[in-house]
Order: sequence, then structure tokens, then C-alpha cells
Amino acid sequence: MTPAIEVRGLCRSFRQRGGLLGQDRTVVAVDDVSFTLAGGGVLGVVGESGCGKSTLARIILGLLPPTAGEVLVEGRRLAAMDRRARARLIQPVFQDPFASLNPRRRIRDIVAMPLVAQGDIPARQVADRAAEMLARVGLSAEQAERYPAQLSGGQRQRVAIARALVLRPRIVICDEPTSALDVSVQAQILNLLAELRRELNLTYLFISHNLAVVEHVATEVAVMYLGRIVERATADALFRAPQHPYTKALLASVLTPEPGLGVPDVGLGETLPDPANIPPACRFHPRCPVAEPRCATTTPHAIMTAGGAAECLLLEGAGKP
Amino acid sequence: MSTSDRGAPPARSPNPPRQSPPLLEIEELRVTFGRTAAVRGASFSLEKGETHCVVGESGCGKSVTALAVMGLLARGARREAARLEFAGQDLRALSERQLSALRGDRMAMIFQEPMTSLNPAYTVGSQMAEVFTRHRGGSRRAALDRAADLLARVGITAPGMRLGQFPHQLSGGLRQRVMIAMALMCDPELLIADEPTTALDVTVQAQILRLLAELQRDLGLGILLITHDLGIVARIADRVSVMYAGEVVESAPTAALFAAPSHPYTRGLLACVPVPGKVKREEALGSIPGMVPRIPPGFTGCAFRDRCDHAAPECAGAVPRQQAGAHEVLCRLPPGWAA
Amino acid sequence: MRQAGLVLGGVIVGIALLCAILAPWIVPHDPFLQNLDNRLAVPFWMEGSNPAHLLGTDQLGRDYLSRLVHGARISMLIGVLTVVASGLIGTTLGVLGGFFGGRVDDAVLFAITCRLAIPVVLVALAVVGLLGSSLTLVILVLGLLLWDRFAVVARSTTMQLRNLDYVAAAWSAGVSTPGILLKEILPNIASHLAVVATLEMALAILLEAALSFLGLGVPPPLPSWGLMIAEGKDYMFFSPWVIFIPGVTLFIVVLGINLLGDGLRDLLGAGDTR
Repeated sequence: MTPAIEVRGLCRSFRQRGGLLGQDRTVVAVDDVSFTLAGGGVLGVVGESGCGKSTLARIILGLLPPTAGEVLVEGRRLAAMDRRARARLIQPVFQDPFASLNPRRRIRDIVAMPLVAQGDIPARQVADRAAEMLARVGLSAEQAERYPAQLSGGQRQRVAIARALVLRPRIVICDEPTSALDVSVQAQILNLLAELRRELNLTYLFISHNLAVVEHVATEVAVMYLGRIVERATADALFRAPQHPYTKALLASVLTPEPGLGVPDVGLGETLPDPANIPPACRFHPRCPVAEPRCATTTPHAIMTAGGAAECLLLEGAGKP
Repeated sequence: MSTSDRGAPPARSPNPPRQSPPLLEIEELRVTFGRTAAVRGASFSLEKGETHCVVGESGCGKSVTALAVMGLLARGARREAARLEFAGQDLRALSERQLSALRGDRMAMIFQEPMTSLNPAYTVGSQMAEVFTRHRGGSRRAALDRAADLLARVGITAPGMRLGQFPHQLSGGLRQRVMIAMALMCDPELLIADEPTTALDVTVQAQILRLLAELQRDLGLGILLITHDLGIVARIADRVSVMYAGEVVESAPTAALFAAPSHPYTRGLLACVPVPGKVKREEALGSIPGMVPRIPPGFTGCAFRDRCDHAAPECAGAVPRQQAGAHEVLCRLPPGWAA
Repeated sequence: MRQAGLVLGGVIVGIALLCAILAPWIVPHDPFLQNLDNRLAVPFWMEGSNPAHLLGTDQLGRDYLSRLVHGARISMLIGVLTVVASGLIGTTLGVLGGFFGGRVDDAVLFAITCRLAIPVVLVALAVVGLLGSSLTLVILVLGLLLWDRFAVVARSTTMQLRNLDYVAAAWSAGVSTPGILLKEILPNIASHLAVVATLEMALAILLEAALSFLGLGVPPPLPSWGLMIAEGKDYMFFSPWVIFIPGVTLFIVVLGINLLGDGLRDLLGAGDTR
């Protein structure tokens, strides 16, 4: 079966101007990322800010051309598709519902936009389909006449979801869709996304820094660090038995609402990863709590684990002295 | 560093009215902005060395409460309270001048986005030194030394170098550490932290929260921490006040609150949070329908009744404040209803 | 109190526009009708004034009030048409440069730099000197030269919007690039452009007055305020009001337009905050 998304050797770097005296720097945002995602699955992508997860999303949406590598959607090369064909297959839901809706357009026009852009759908049908989709995400006909500023954050995110789904795409890229929302609203939106996925048989790429949310929605998880996927596994395997030290640190830093446990010491130190200055060999070794001398000299390769794969020398050396 | 090495400040509360009053005592605090009642009779107190978390959704009045304590409300806001005392001192009786002498000195505040409270045009060192010399005088040299000590204290390596840097040269986590160090410049007794880690990565969040907990233990700080994250509350609070629509609807020691959440809103909030390790993927999360209402002045009854599964006609009347030991709930439901 | 400037500016501009539109129907006399027997009649506040000529007459005996009202017509026409022409040019260049960036933006920036290196008054003088003065020519010269601020503002605001998620969402929805520019970008920078438009309009009116004063703007006998000041300057020692009246009118109208612009900026700026 053709996977819904296949990503092969994706790379993306940016040139950063160094200012008056500084030198230009090359920032590597995504570095040789490959994965496949089967239709109907949810791939959670997690990592700290600057790990390249949003850049990855923008490349898969076609908003940003990759420096190298290619993206296949349902077996077809994304780069070869025109904008309208791509829109029918893949749609985004962004993080900030205040920034993702044009403040000068009515809700019904925002939701109808993808249909209108197709150019060959009769106006009557456009209006009907937009109204139907708005009703499906729980917005009233009266709210459809309003402007984004007149809605709450949760309602705006529903509008963004309606806009993404009105063309009945196969794949939805959710880039931190709930991190700007309150917990009670977050739960509503997560439930809505889950219902819609089952109903419309959607495939999600779900980017989030909130591991608890990812565990709730994802079937598979990719952990990104400085542009690379350092561990990838089924959600069950990853959350039950994380293999990479970075995954372990991420999981340890999740604060569950259980009193008495205190705040964990994740042991990552103060230095933060800098995508313009990626350490050689294992890129995680300067922060790794269990790093060994060889981690600074040898580049790790992906090692098969119980539910997937991880890039860590300690896994390669398992069993050896 | 202990409280004894504090420089002798002039005329600090000469006659305390009682035996060791709480660090912060708020009773019946009300804040209104025109037609909106943002805080409606909130009461709580904070002891020295205690961490008190105020939790709730946005629009619940958490931040307004903090700003009201600091005397930093926007113009056009009306603040009333039956009692608003900091270490026995009536904050309402202070002039703007006296208040600003208190702010940054004995009580300090850190915000969600450190960039909004750091001046991009000055180096970290000169901003930190300025706070100290403004309140305590002394030489700039001494102030800079203290700043370097504190940067080291909050876990910043090479503090000397950081002193000479501008805020935009620091990462989000470092900026928040700088903010904390700056708040500590004058050895405050009370630290108000408004969503201090919301803008940070989880890994950095854990580090910052550990730091706060450690500082509190070492310096005897009272911390009033405002957050929407129940995970943070569970891990660092001694006591929790859950706010909804401007009221404290439930207040209890942390362990008691999580063991037996008694207000339907608290229970609803807890049900919304996906808990790692206890997740069932195909199962819907609990959620609270609707959103936080805007309450006009003069509103009566329970503000949560429109979103509550247990609402009854009597919820439109006066709501009893029930108390069982240190656990307070603002709800008509009998204690133990949820069990 | 912030509204006061907006209201005052709006009233002044409103009156000027009304005068401009209704001039032929509201003036008491034909502004071109000369009466050499009644030259330099004094305005109403001076002794010996004639109630038929409220603001007196000029050196050729033409009714000053009528000429002043007709002058509003010239000023407003020039102001509005210049802003339309320069607004079109500047907005197009600015939006394209800001949206596409890269080479396109370099070209737009170069065009702006070139434009800023051209002294408007000197070019206007040269063109009018070569081709002779006419109203159309003044509008054309000003329209083709005053677009720089539109371009700068359109460019910077477009650059801010370009990276917003709603533009990315429109792109992902399959909307064409012209569709994105017209429906997602333009409506959201319109308020900023409206503020620039008021500034440019005031500038255009002042420039026209200056050109006319130098004899290189609209040709006589058209009643332009600048021309009225120029024609009156020989008489200013004995009849100071002949330059005082059009001068003050010019000042008030330009002030009104600027007040309106400031008010608009405050209003729209405040509206943008969440």
C-alpha cells in the first residue's frame, strides 16, 4: 500500500545574515529526514523549539522548498503538483488562531476560500459545503457571518479546522494546534480532531511540544533534535520504553498533575542547541547526561529498537564494555 | 545568602500589628474595569516560604489579581478590598511613591515573556545593577558584583560575560533566568510569577521550576505563582487556589486538592488534561463546554452554572462557601459529593 | 480628547471637499469676472467693506470669496488625483517588493532610492518650463513623483503580513498569488495606506501652491490658492489680506488633512490591538 506521506532525505538550510561585521551563518533546520506514514495514522513530531519541526511542516505543506530530498504524498511527488491539486490532498492547521485567520474576512468566506480557489465549484455548492463544514465543527450559521475578532480562541481554531477540511483533504498538518489554547478548550479541539479523523479517515502529522498531548493523539512519534529525527517508534513503544537519552529527558520533563513528585532534574544543562552551530558526531552529546567520550567523535547511525529506530551510540554499543 | 546580610533598610514596618502576620493577605479583593468585574471577592493568604499557585483558564482574573497586589492595574480599573496587606502593611494606604519603592525591592514580579520587561537597549548587567542602586544605593561596582553572584546562583555559567550582553543575545530560558536573578537583586520577601514558564520548552520549564523551588528553600521566599498548568501546580505548590470568573472557587493544600477535587470546575479542569501513562487513545478527553463568561458587576449566583453538569435552580442564588479544615469550596454541592 | 483632532480634521476636510464639489453653485460671483472699477475692495472686517464682496476683491476686481472657493476645487482635485496616481504606483511596487522579496524587492528598493534622489520641485520646474503649465501636467508630475512613501509603507507592512499564518493558509488552500495579494494582503494594509494618503494629499496641495506661486503650476486665470498669493504679493504692503486670506486657508486645509491623518492612525492603530 502506498503510504500517505513519504519523505526522503529532506534537508533545508537557511542563510542568516551576520550583520555589519559578523559573518553569514548557515542554519541547518532540517537535516536528512526520511520517514513514511501510513494512511489513517497520526505521526506526532516532538522536540524543543528550534529543532526543525515547524520547518518540516512547512516543507511538507509546500510552503518552503527543500534544499534537498523530496516529499511524496500518496505516491505522487509534491514538487510536481500545482497549488490546487496540492490543496485537495494536504491542508494545514496552525498554532495561533489569532494569526491564522484574515481579520478582514467573514468566517464563511474564510471557510469557503479553499473551495473558491479550486475555481470550478459552483457558488451554490461552495456556500452549502462551507456551511455544512462549519456546522460539523460546531459553529452556528450566525457565527459564520462574524469576523475572526468576534470569536474566542477555541472558536477560531474550529474555523481553521473547518477551512482545512472543507476540501476533504487526505492529510492534515497540525502545527501546535492547541498550544495557544486553554486546557478546557484544548480538550475540545483535540476531541474534535480525533472525531474528524475517524469520520473522514484522515492522516495527521501532529507537531507539538506537549508530550502528553502527543501521547493522547499519536499512533507513531518522531523525536527531533537539531534537524534530525533521533528516535522514531510507535507511540506505545516510545512512551513505554524510550531508547534515546534525549527522548528520556523529554519524557522526564513532562509535569504530570501528580502532587508530591516534585520537579524532575532532566540533567540537560544550561546550553541550548544552536542550529547554526551543530556539534560534530552525535549532535546531542554536549547536553547528554550519559554521553561517553566516543560520542564526540563517532557519528551514530539508526539502530532498530523494539518499536522503531533510534540514533544513539550507546544503543550500538549495548552489551559491549 | 541569608536574610541577615540584607542592608539595613530605613523604617521597615516599625510596629507589626500582630505576631508575624502572613506575608500576603488578601480579603474580598474586587477589581472592575467598567462593565466587567474581573476579580470578584477573591481571598487568600500566603505565608513566608510558601508557594501558592493560582490556577484557572485565561480570563479568570489570575493576572489581574497579581497586578492588583503590585498596584500595577491599568488606568480605569477600580480596586477594592476588605484587606490587602503585605507583611502586615496595608498596601491600599501606600502612595504611588511608596509602592514603587516596595516593588522590585521587597516584592518582585516576573512575567511570562521576559522580553517585555527587559529593556532591549541596555545590557543585562546595567539593568540588574540599576534595580539595586535605585532601591539600595551603593556603588555600581558593588551592584554589578551582586548581579554576577545572582546570575551564577540561577545557574548561568560565565555570568561575567552575560552581564555585558543585551537581552536579545540570550535564549528564552536564559532570559527568564536573568529575570529571576533581577527579581532577586534586592532580596525580596515575595515573588509574584505570572506564567513564568509558559513561553519555554518543557525541558527548560523543568529547570526554571526547579530553580524557583530551590531558591525558595534557600531564601525563604514566598512565591505567588500564576499558571494555567495543573502539572506545574501539582509539582511545586504548597497550596492552590482555583479561580473561575474572578472568584476563588476552591482552595486547598495541594495534596488535598488533587486527592479530592471538590468544585465541578476543578474536576472539569483535571479531566481535560491528558495524563501521560494513563492515556487511552481512542477515548475522548473530558472537556468543559462553553467558555469563561464576562461577568458584569452585580452578578449573583454561581458563575460556573452555565457550564456545570451539576447545575440546579438554586445555583442562581447565593453560593455557600464550605470549609472542611484547610479545604474551601464555593459550591452548593455537599462535601464528598464526588466520591 | 484624541478624537478631537480627528473630528476637527474631518470637518475641515469635509468643508473643503464640499466647497470643491459645489463651487459653481454656492459662490456669490463669477470668479473670473473682472471689475476694474472695484479693485482691491476690503474684506468684511475692515472699514468701508462691501457686503456683496465678503472677502473683498483682488487687483482685477474679481470676488475674492468666489475665487477662494473655486481654489478649493483646484487644490482638492490636485490632492485627490495625485494621491490616486501615486497611491497606485507606490502600492503596487511596495506590495510586490514586500511580498516576493529577493530580486523583485531589490528592484523596488532601487526604484525607491532613485525616486528619493530626484528633487520634486526641480523636476516639476523643468517639466513645466519645457512643456508649459497646465493642470493636467501638474497632476501628472506630482502623481509620478510622490509615490515613494506609499511604496515604503506598503513594502514594510506587506513584509510583516507575508509571514503570517493566514497568508500561509491561503497559499495552502490553493489560492493564486494575485488572489492572495488582493484579498489577504491589500485589505490588511489599507488602513496604513489611508494614513499615508492623507500625508501625501497635504503635501501635493502644498507643492501645487508652491509651483503656482512660482508661476509654474496651474496657469492664470484659474483661481489656485498659490496663484492667488503670487498675484497678491505686489499688493501685500497696502492690502495684506490679499495674501493673508489664501495663505491662512491653505494652512487650515493642510492642517485639517494632517489632523485627519493623525486621527485615523490612532483610530486604526488602536483597532489593531487585540
